Amino acid sequence: MKEDWGREAGNIISNWARKHSLWVLAYGTGCGAIEIPPTMTSRYDAERFGISGMATPRQADVLLITGYLSVKTLKRVIRSYEQMQAPKYVIGFGSCTINGGMYWDSYNTVKRLDDYLPVDVFINGCMPRPEAVIDGFVKLQELIASKKANGWIRYQENLDWYRANQKKVIKNWNMPDYNW
Amino acid sequence: MNHEEHIINTIHTTFKSAEAEIQRKGRLLIRLRSDLLPAFVSYLKNYLDFNHLVMISCVDWMEDNQFELVYHLYSYAQKVHAMVKVRLNRSQPQAQTILPFWDQAGTYEREIHEMYGVYFEGHPDLSEFILEDWDDIPPMRRDFKTREFVNENYEWRKGREDAQDVRRTISERYDEKLPQFNNDDKANG
Repeated sequence: MKEDWGREAGNIISNWARKHSLWVLAYGTGCGAIEIPPTMTSRYDAERFGISGMATPRQADVLLITGYLSVKTLKRVIRSYEQMQAPKYVIGFGSCTINGGMYWDSYNTVKRLDDYLPVDVFINGCMPRPEAVIDGFVKLQELIASKKANGWIRYQENLDWYRANQKKVIKNWNMPDYNW
Repeated sequence: MNHEEHIINTIHTTFKSAEAEIQRKGRLLIRLRSDLLPAFVSYLKNYLDFNHLVMISCVDWMEDNQFELVYHLYSYAQKVHAMVKVRLNRSQPQAQTILPFWDQAGTYEREIHEMYGVYFEGHPDLSEFILEDWDDIPPMRRDFKTREFVNENYEWRKGREDAQDVRRTISERYDEKLPQFNNDDKANG
């Protein structure tokens, strides 16, 4: 009982720390990446919330999918996501990640991001304004604090399902298969 | 005699089979046999000073069993835009590269090869360009059934089946007043 209490307190403290240092992988897909510079810079200043850009996947906490994903990009995104250190969070940004958006009948863009990666927060809009982006991040912070942002656990537990979906669209899978 | 007529006369002295017409001031349309194409664009570039290749595009005339390549050239000296159109056999589309005259033609030709399957003879690298691991017919051909392909390969999210105006649904669900926009009448017919 005592151990559980200690672990619980540790979780609360580490989640509090995590939610105030969301480091976003600087990976722009699609047109949504154009909304990130105003979000990060002085007018909207996302760094107030601890949101900051990070250069490499191994240092980042949040993978922000900014817009449509072509099959070619999806392959790189999966590779980046799997290199990130847990705990890691995915934010689907814009209507393209939700249902394909204006590329709803395109032959080369995926329609539902959550079939391929575990998405914690969706931000809808085309494009979402920086206010909406910050709102999505605040929502993610709430989810982290209440221990509901567990997409990375979902990914590990249902890896076969995700992998089957990924391999359905990516014909030539020449990437390492991670095994947690 | 204005610029355009002068250009057409000059073209006809060398390329008798070329059909040229003036679409409007500063714009020429030239139809040509496909095997004359490299010689013709080289002639336009070196002799008539059309030194800018604006773009190359491709049109799929499926009913005629033909592809049409459109070469847009521009002459800064004469301020004339020339469209050179050649038709190819659709079942075995093959054209000659114009890479020796413009380096940027290589990129356009590579894209047309990927999207339409037109083979450019003499192009050094027609490997995959934008698509990756594509094993269907080239996607911009008109007999490529996009919707069927999407249905086979991707999952739809519910709610996109009937392309309806979602504002009405949302206003009913949340009991909001639907705003009246000026273009509503046009949109509803």
